[in-house]
Amino acid sequence: MGNKQTIFTAQQLDAYQDCTYFTRKEILRLFYRYRDLAPQLVPLDYTNHPDVKLPYELIGSMPELKDNPFRQRIAEVFSEDGEGNMTLDNFLDMFSVLSEMAPRDLKAYYAFKIYDFNNDDFICKSDLEKTLNKLTRNELTEDEVKMVCEKVIDEADLDNDGRLSLEDFQHMINRAPDFLSTFHIRI
Amino acid sequence: MTIEQQRQGLAFSGSGHPTDQESLRFRRVSSRMSTQIYHEPNSSTSLAQEEEQSGSEPTLELRNTVFPMALKKAARQVQQMQVPAQFNGGSWKQKRIKFVRQFKSNVREFLYFFSLWGKTLQKIGGRNLVYASKQPQRLRPRWQTLLSLTGNFGGGVQSYFIFLRFLVILNFVSFLLIAGFVLIPSIVFRSVGIKPESSKADVSSECLKYDPNPQGLVVFYEFFLDLLSGTGFMEYSYLFYGYYNNSVIVTSLVGSHFSYNIPLAYLLTAVFYFAFCLICIIVRMGKAARVAVTTGGSDVRSYSMIVFTGWDYGCLGSKATKLKQRNIYYRLQVDLEEERLKKHAASLTLCNKVTLHSLRVLMFFVAVGLIVATFLAIARATTFSQENSHVPGILGLFYTYLPSIVITLGNFLVPLLCDQIALLEKYPPSATVVVALLRAVVLRLVSLGILLFTLWKQIMCHDSRDKCNLCHYNHEDYQCWETSVGQEMYKLTLFDLLVSIALLVLVEFPRRMVVDHWSCKLTQWVGRQEFVVPSNVLGLVYGQTVVWTGALFCPLLPLINTVKFVILFYCKKITLFYNCRPALRTFRSTSSAIFFLAVLLFGWILALVVMIYSVAVIHPSFACGPFRSFFRMWKIVPESFSTLPEGARDFLFFIGSQAFSIPLFAISCVFMCYFIALASIYGKSVAMLRAQLKLAGQDKQFLVKQIEKMKPLSPQHNEGEQD
Repeated sequence: MGNKQTIFTAQQLDAYQDCTYFTRKEILRLFYRYRDLAPQLVPLDYTNHPDVKLPYELIGSMPELKDNPFRQRIAEVFSEDGEGNMTLDNFLDMFSVLSEMAPRDLKAYYAFKIYDFNNDDFICKSDLEKTLNKLTRNELTEDEVKMVCEKVIDEADLDNDGRLSLEDFQHMINRAPDFLSTFHIRI
Repeated sequence: MTIEQQRQGLAFSGSGHPTDQESLRFRRVSSRMSTQIYHEPNSSTSLAQEEEQSGSEPTLELRNTVFPMALKKAARQVQQMQVPAQFNGGSWKQKRIKFVRQFKSNVREFLYFFSLWGKTLQKIGGRNLVYASKQPQRLRPRWQTLLSLTGNFGGGVQSYFIFLRFLVILNFVSFLLIAGFVLIPSIVFRSVGIKPESSKADVSSECLKYDPNPQGLVVFYEFFLDLLSGTGFMEYSYLFYGYYNNSVIVTSLVGSHFSYNIPLAYLLTAVFYFAFCLICIIVRMGKAARVAVTTGGSDVRSYSMIVFTGWDYGCLGSKATKLKQRNIYYRLQVDLEEERLKKHAASLTLCNKVTLHSLRVLMFFVAVGLIVATFLAIARATTFSQENSHVPGILGLFYTYLPSIVITLGNFLVPLLCDQIALLEKYPPSATVVVALLRAVVLRLVSLGILLFTLWKQIMCHDSRDKCNLCHYNHEDYQCWETSVGQEMYKLTLFDLLVSIALLVLVEFPRRMVVDHWSCKLTQWVGRQEFVVPSNVLGLVYGQTVVWTGALFCPLLPLINTVKFVILFYCKKITLFYNCRPALRTFRSTSSAIFFLAVLLFGWILALVVMIYSVAVIHPSFACGPFRSFFRMWKIVPESFSTLPEGARDFLFFIGSQAFSIPLFAISCVFMCYFIALASIYGKSVAMLRAQLKLAGQDKQFLVKQIEKMKPLSPQHNEGEQD
C-alpha cells in the first residue's frame, strides 16, 4: 500500500478523497479510464495541474454513457463550460454523484439539472416533452405526450405555477423508492 | 440564481492555487456555503453527530455539497487553514470520523461477500453488467461476461429471487432447530438402546398393531417406489412421526442430573418453529411496510415516477436500452389506457352499465363455479387415493400421487380459464391483475385445505362410524395416521419439485429452441417464455404452506424443503437467463412484497389451524410415535408441568391467572394508544411540513421577483448585497 504513483501528489489525492465518494484506488482507476479516452491529450503527471479538457464526443463514446439518451445533458451539467467538454475534475465529479454512495438530495439536485433542458432552473412543459421523447424514442403521439406532461405537472407541482421547481422535484423524489438505484452508474 | 452568479464570480486561473485576494473571497463563500448546503436526511444523524463533536464550527461534508470540484477543493483548503486554529482534538475527531466511516464501509463489503447468492441477485436486478475487460483488479468470471448482453429483468423478478432466498434461510434455520432438539436426542437415545415405553394396558391389542414393513415378495423397483411415496423402508425412519419414541429419560449420575423428555421436546419444538416463522414474516413485513409508507404507497405507478425515475442510468448496451425504452413506453401506454377506460366508463349509458355489471356478476359466478369444481375433484381424488392405497406397483404409485396431480392440474388450468373470463369482464388493467391474483391465491391455499379436510374425514371416519369405535380413529386404514398425513405432505413437496424440473426440461427449453430456430407465424405469436412473477411466487407460498402443515408429522420436511428450494433457485435462474425474454410488463416490487408476505401469513394460519386441530382434537395413534400413551397430544404439557419444582409451578400458575393477565392487558392497551397517538402526530407533522415546503417555494419566488424589480433601479446596491 505504498504511495508509488506519480500522477498526483498526496495532497491532491486527499483532496479528491474528501471531495468525492471514491477511495484512493478508485480515483486512480478513474484517472486511467479518463486517460484511455485520449492518451495523447492527457498527461501522466497531474502534479502541476495541467489544463486538459476532453471534448464531448470522447466522453459520449464511453461504454457507460454511449447508449444513454441523456448523455449529452449529463455531460453538459457536469462540465465547466456547459458544452460537455470535461476536465478530470468534472469527470470525477460526475461519477461521484452517479455512484451508489451519493446521497439522495445530491442526486436529486443533479437529476433536476439534467432534466432542465433550457437551464432556467425550472422544469417546464417543453423540458418535460423533450424528456419524454428521449425516454420513449419518440414513439408516443403528440396527444399522448401532452396528456402525460399535464399529468406529471398535476402530480408534482406543489406551488401551482405550471412548472416544477427544485423543491417540487425533490419532494417527489423523496417518495420514489427506486431513485437511488436507478440514478446510478457503476464504473 | 445566486449559485450561478457565485460560480461566475469565482472563476480562477487554471493553476488552482488561489491568490490572497481570492482566498479572502473563498472564506466568505465557505461561510455562505454552510447555509446553502443540502443535508442528506438519511445521514443527517451522522452529520449532526459530526457537528456536535467538532465543537465550535460545523464540519462541512464537502462531498455532499452541490458545488463543482474546483469550489469544493477551494473550500477544503479554507477548512484546512482554519483547523490549526482549533485545538488538536478537532482534527483527531475528524480523523476518527473518517476512520469510522471507512470501517463501516469495509464491514458492509465484508458482510455483502457472505450474503447468500448476492452476486446472482444483483445480476438479475441488472446492476452488474460488464463493459470492456481492462480491469486488472476485478476478477470477472467468463459466464458473467457472456450473460451480460441479456439485459436486466427488473425489480419484480429480483423480488421473487429475494423471497426465495428468504424461504431457504427460514427453512434451514428451522431444520437446525428441529435437529437440535428432536432429531439428535432421538438418534442418541436410540443408539444407546433405550426401548420405547408401551401404552397403557386398557387398550385393545387391535389398536397396538403397527406393521410398516411389508412382508412377502418385494418387486425389484420397490426401492424407487418407496422413495417416491414415503412407504416401505422410508416409513419407519426418522423421516416420519411414527419412528420417534416416547422416551422420557431421567438419569441421576454422579454429580449431574440429566433429564430429557422427547415427547415434550417434540411438541414444544413444533410450537416454537411456528412462532419463529411468524416472527420472521412479521419482521419482514414491517420492513416492507416501512418502505411503502414512506413512499406513499399507491404513487408507485404514477406518471411523474415513471418519467423521472423510470430510466435506469446503469443500463448498458443498445439492446438493453431499446428494451428499457419500450418498457417505459408500454408502462405509459397502460396508464393512458386506464385513463381512457375511466373516461369511457364514465360516459356509458345506464343500459350499458347494467349489462356490464350483470356480465361481471355472471362471470364471477362462473369463476366461483370453476374453483368449486376443482375442490370437488380434489376431494374425490383424495378419497379414491386413500381407498386404493394398497394397490402395488406403478399403478399404486399413480393412485397415491393422484391428489397431487389433481391439485397441480387445477392450479394450472383454472387460472388460464379465469384469464379468458377476465377478457370478458373488462375491468381496468390494474383491477384485472388484482382479481386474477386473488383467485389464484384462493385456489391454491383452499385446495390444500380441501385435501387436508378430506384426509381428516377419513381418519375420523365421518362416513363409516363403526371403524372408529375401538381406537377413536380409523385404525383399520391408518395404523399410524400421523405418518400417513406426513406421507401426503412429503408426496406433495416431491411432486411439486418434479413438476418444476419436468416443466423446465420438457417445456421451456424446447419452446426456446423452437422459437429461436424455426421462424413461422405461430412461433412468433407464441414467442419466448416470459418469467411470470405472481404465479411463481404463489407456487413458493404453496410449497412453504405444505411444509408448515407437515412439519409436525414429518420432522425432516424443512430439510427436504431447503434442498428443494435450492434446486429450484438454480433451475429458475437457468431458465431465466437462457429461456426467458425480459418482460415488457414489469411487476411492481414494493407493494407486491407486502402482498406476498400477507399470502404467506395466510398459509401460515392455515397450517396453524391444522396443527392445533391435530394436537387438541384427534387422538394420537396407539401404535407409534412419541404421544402413543396420551389421550391428546397436548396432554404432555400438563403432565410435565406436574414434575416441575414448586417455585416454577407457582410462577407459571401466577402468569396464567387473572391477577397477572388483566394488568398485562391494560398495560398493552396503554402502549397501543400511545403508538396510535404517535403515528397520528407523525402524519400531521408530515402534512405540516409539506405545507411549509409550499410556502418556502412561494417565498423564494416572491423574493426573486423583488430582486428583479429592484435590479433596474440600483445596480451598485445589488453588488453590495451579494458581497
